[in-house]
Amino acid sequence: MFSSLIREELARLPGRWRRIRFFDVPFRSRLLSLALLAFSLAACNNESVSVYRIPKENNQVSLQTGSGNLAPPPPANPASWSKPDGWTEKPLSEMRLGSFEVPGTNGESADVSVTAFPGDAGGLESNVNRWRGQVHLPALEGDQLTQSCQEETVDGVPTMIVDLQTPAGAEKASAILGAVLRTSDRTWFVKMTGPPDLLKGQKDNFLELVRSFRFQSTAPEQNQQQEEPPPSQVKSTNDR
Amino acid sequence: MTVKQQAQPTMLGMPSLTVTALLRNVFKPLASLKLTIICLACAMFIVFVGTLDQVQIGVYEAQLRYFKSFFLYFTLPGSSFRIPYFPGGYTLGAVLLVNLIAAHVARFKFTWKKSGILILHSGLILLLIGQVVTSVFEQESQIQLDQGQTKNYSESPYLDELAIIDQSKPDSDQVISVPSSRLVKGQTISLPVSGLQLQVDESYENAALINPNQLPSPNYPHVRLGPMAVAVAVPKTYKQNERNQPTAAVTLLKDGQAVGSWVLSSGFPQPVQFKVGSDPFSIVFRPKRYYRPFSITLEEFKHDRYAGTDIAKNFSSKVRLVDPSAHENREALIYMNHPLWYSDLILYQAGFGNNDQTTVLQVMKNPSRLVPYIACGMMALGLVIQFGMHLVSFVRRRVIT
Repeated sequence: MFSSLIREELARLPGRWRRIRFFDVPFRSRLLSLALLAFSLAACNNESVSVYRIPKENNQVSLQTGSGNLAPPPPANPASWSKPDGWTEKPLSEMRLGSFEVPGTNGESADVSVTAFPGDAGGLESNVNRWRGQVHLPALEGDQLTQSCQEETVDGVPTMIVDLQTPAGAEKASAILGAVLRTSDRTWFVKMTGPPDLLKGQKDNFLELVRSFRFQSTAPEQNQQQEEPPPSQVKSTNDR
Repeated sequence: MTVKQQAQPTMLGMPSLTVTALLRNVFKPLASLKLTIICLACAMFIVFVGTLDQVQIGVYEAQLRYFKSFFLYFTLPGSSFRIPYFPGGYTLGAVLLVNLIAAHVARFKFTWKKSGILILHSGLILLLIGQVVTSVFEQESQIQLDQGQTKNYSESPYLDELAIIDQSKPDSDQVISVPSSRLVKGQTISLPVSGLQLQVDESYENAALINPNQLPSPNYPHVRLGPMAVAVAVPKTYKQNERNQPTAAVTLLKDGQAVGSWVLSSGFPQPVQFKVGSDPFSIVFRPKRYYRPFSITLEEFKHDRYAGTDIAKNFSSKVRLVDPSAHENREALIYMNHPLWYSDLILYQAGFGNNDQTTVLQVMKNPSRLVPYIACGMMALGLVIQFGMHLVSFVRRRVIT
């Protein structure tokens, strides 16, 4: 049936065309037509936009600003604070949003850092216990831990302040003054480490720094894209 | 030979030909054995070069460039202009296929004596066609599941998509998926949904997400993802255990009016919610998803080791498969050499992570997966028949002498 169709089609062509076949044309033209065909095939290879429907999903994300206007670029650092007198600012690093050196007597000094992490950053308990571990204190749990902290509110944000010191008789005495400020979308840590005597004298300055924290309205938070997510730690079952 | 004589006359005043003769005429030059040899030599060359280049660009990219392409291209340095310099796998495969079919049409006369060759060549043709079907329709993806987690989609290990999700309907969401390869800076893509357009303000094929403080200088080209992360363009990675993180700054337009602008990175696939008019939408840059009519839940992942050592003995995933449309609800154990076959998919145990709390299942979809077996069977049968006939006639002759 197919061959009869071709025959019919051929018969319909004007006589001149009927006689021209692929292999009657010069070699160069043949090559050209094949190349054109291949190029047009290659051009079809583009991926295209697709649309499909899926069952409802729960997307637990923060709501963005309403429609109509472009989202403004989010502030580089949504909190501000004022440096107590006598402290010197140090250059910032990858993690530190604030960094200070507190000079003491006999060439001693204490270090102050301000960091922030998305969400609860692992929770109050694990973070305070991490600090306790750094000054060789045993970990605490639940109420015990909360009781060891001094609770305050800074610019409407619940704040926990801890004052930790190595137990008496420790090889190298050191102390930590820490504050954990929990805003709606991230947790701020202010930490001062150094010799116990220096920290005792600087506690008022430390509290002054913590209480000076002012948080910019983060209501239209663009999204929670602050931190580079950890690379996926997936391994192949073929790996040794 | 009579055919050849008919094909010789000049353009004008040519005698009319029958369709069969015409076909033979057309196929004759294509049936050339020289062409076969040239194609096979070219194929050997691209296999050789492709294998060498695989070290630099990885298996996936090497396949795309050398075998799943019509041409090998040379990109002019400092431009995006590509010059084809050698036929790729698709071209060679197509020419070989045409060559083989043409050889049969032009030369072959069916006799019982040559039935073996016919079966053998049919097997070869089937193998070539099967490969084309595989390379066009094959879909490779992965499901990564934490203990107790359920998913009704798998994700591409290589491709990414910018998904714009219309959540205005109460029972289902509409996903507009824009492949990351379409995101070219300065282009506006018309979306197949009334009045929506996507304008690409910036696009990086691969980006590193870093803290703004880490920028070499404040003017260093970057896009800002949020208060504590910026993305800078980095060269594409081809390493087996790394993934590119395409990042783009886009503006969504509705009837020419901007709805919103976002900077999105597949390195941070968190959906951002927004509204078009009063309809809730979300937008996310993520690994390309393939939704399935069924869901898979990881009930238990096991990583057995040889006693007293850290050497892996066995990996297994106990999963629950639920497909409401097929009234399917069953448990399955996926482990080495025991994949789960479901509808047109095969799920293999492929990886693990997160202290053995996460499993990675490879999901393969290949509509022509049986073709190579059938084709090889046909080729073996053809060989047996052909050589068998020769053997029989040889033995007969010996008996006679």
